[in-house]
Amino acid sequence: MKRRTFVAAAASLPAVNILSGTARAQSKEIRMIESGGASGDSIEKGYIEPLFKKTGIKVVRENPSSLGKLRALVESGQTTTTLFELGSGIILQAKKLGLIEKVDWAAVNPAEMFPEAKNEYGFGYQYFSTIMAWRKGVKEPKSFAEFFDTKAFPGKRCLPDFPHYCLPFALQAAGVPIDKLFPLDVDLAFKKLNEIKKDVAVWWKAGAQPPQLMKDNEVQYSICWSGRVVGDPAFGLNFAGGKADLSFIAIVKGSSPENKAAAYKLFHEMSLPENQAKAAEVISYTGPSPNLDALLPKDKLWQFPTSKQNKAVQYFENAEWWADNGEAVNKKWEAFKLSL
Amino acid sequence: MRSSGFSFIAPLLVLMVFAFNLPILYMLGLAFWSKGQGFTLEHYEGLVEAPVYLRVLGNTMRIALIATLANVIIGYPLAHWMRGLQNRARLIAIALVVLPFWVSILVRTYAWIVVLGNGGLVNRALMWLGLTDAPVSFLYNELGVTIGMANVLLPFLVLPLFAAMIRIDDRLMQAAASLGAPPRTIFWKVYFPLTLPALAAGTLLVFILCLGFYVTPAILGGGRVPMISNLLDTLINQIPRWEQASAISTILLIVTLLIFAAYRRLDRKASA
Repeated sequence: MKRRTFVAAAASLPAVNILSGTARAQSKEIRMIESGGASGDSIEKGYIEPLFKKTGIKVVRENPSSLGKLRALVESGQTTTTLFELGSGIILQAKKLGLIEKVDWAAVNPAEMFPEAKNEYGFGYQYFSTIMAWRKGVKEPKSFAEFFDTKAFPGKRCLPDFPHYCLPFALQAAGVPIDKLFPLDVDLAFKKLNEIKKDVAVWWKAGAQPPQLMKDNEVQYSICWSGRVVGDPAFGLNFAGGKADLSFIAIVKGSSPENKAAAYKLFHEMSLPENQAKAAEVISYTGPSPNLDALLPKDKLWQFPTSKQNKAVQYFENAEWWADNGEAVNKKWEAFKLSL
Repeated sequence: MRSSGFSFIAPLLVLMVFAFNLPILYMLGLAFWSKGQGFTLEHYEGLVEAPVYLRVLGNTMRIALIATLANVIIGYPLAHWMRGLQNRARLIAIALVVLPFWVSILVRTYAWIVVLGNGGLVNRALMWLGLTDAPVSFLYNELGVTIGMANVLLPFLVLPLFAAMIRIDDRLMQAAASLGAPPRTIFWKVYFPLTLPALAAGTLLVFILCLGFYVTPAILGGGRVPMISNLLDTLINQIPRWEQASAISTILLIVTLLIFAAYRRLDRKASA
């Protein structure tokens, strides 16, 4: 693998040199910090490899990506890492803290994209869903009201240890329809969570936990990321009431113009539906092209967060609300955790 | 002569000051500054206004205390038993106590999932023996965290304790017996006081290590056992509110130092 990329690099070198003589100066190698796992591999296969074949630009990946790491990068005045993956809520925080740069969309010149993915401060590259799933063989819930009904659907639950996942689901269980979730009724949500907390065996922090715990029969029902459970015959799942969210790749504050130019080249590759289809082969999350569905295998459409039948039954994350209320809710969350 | 001695330790001193002490001072100082405003106490005020973080600290202390007690209850008899063994058996016992040191803490912690899980060794044995009908929840609660922490920290208590016990002269106990003291009195009046300094030192070491535990509560706590280092992780990596994290760390450091000071005072009184 390494040797092959090296040979390819050597072969494409003269051509690239001629090209870069006319084009704007850009780096030959940039660094990216992404969230890791299969998601990182999908970036490699879907976008980094095609970019390298076309332009000879190398993108070196590191992970995981936490906001604290980004703050440390920027405050220490580094300019070695250009690209940083951030969640939809976190990108607003990063913008407020002055940790990321505006994207020059004219320089990116992207193919057609969903408008919410074309953020002033980042490229929305991957839709992912947080949904209910269960171990095959248990009674199958059809809504979050049923999922949270531990009497009718007995079994241990595994929920995310993050309030921005749990609260909207708890509100659905309390009868709030998905189009009226925001602004969140925080007190009502905690009331519902207090009702079922004794049936929650584990509050997960890492996305790999819920599928493993369901396989081990430690828990029977989970709220987890769709990409971790679709396609595995051990699990059942339902997108109803799930949360659709978008991950962004942003440009680290203080990046040099040469690195930015290379980053925009990668953004362009990321906007192409044929590349997004390649990425979706690695992980069942989808890119921001409205024309992607046609390129995806028909029998797998039900697995993807943005396919029509799934997009219609989910709610979309409201990052603005969380940017304003996140900190206060986090404190309540810690207090709630102490009451477990 | 003096200055030449100093030049030998200078590299280490410089390393400690620049790589360890200064960053710590910077970290502690973070809590007193806010961007554009200069000196501030707002991060400490925040702690007082919303005492939830202090309650997590209190919870951490409580769990550290329980885990330390569990360690003493298991560790003291173990060390005492090892003292009475023959040479070869003693070597094997020491090896078994030290062995876990060579295994990554992460691996040891995950091993408990295999042992204590619903379908784990212990639960299967219990159900096979007919002692329980349903699996007992050993994991993802305080019990699991306590077991995991006691396991990881046991050598820290047993080794110093064993070293102190092995130095105790057998003739002291024989003398007490010859004067007519029953075994119970010999233990409490002669043997135990001689082991007390090592027990106190080991206990304190274990307690302080417990306060900073991260991996074990994260894996075996199932998110249901809030401890201060896991909260600090959230504040540093996710939110990121380093100033608040710094204020909490400062309080944690002060509490630890107070406990250490109390121990030193006790120790001096005991040896005086």
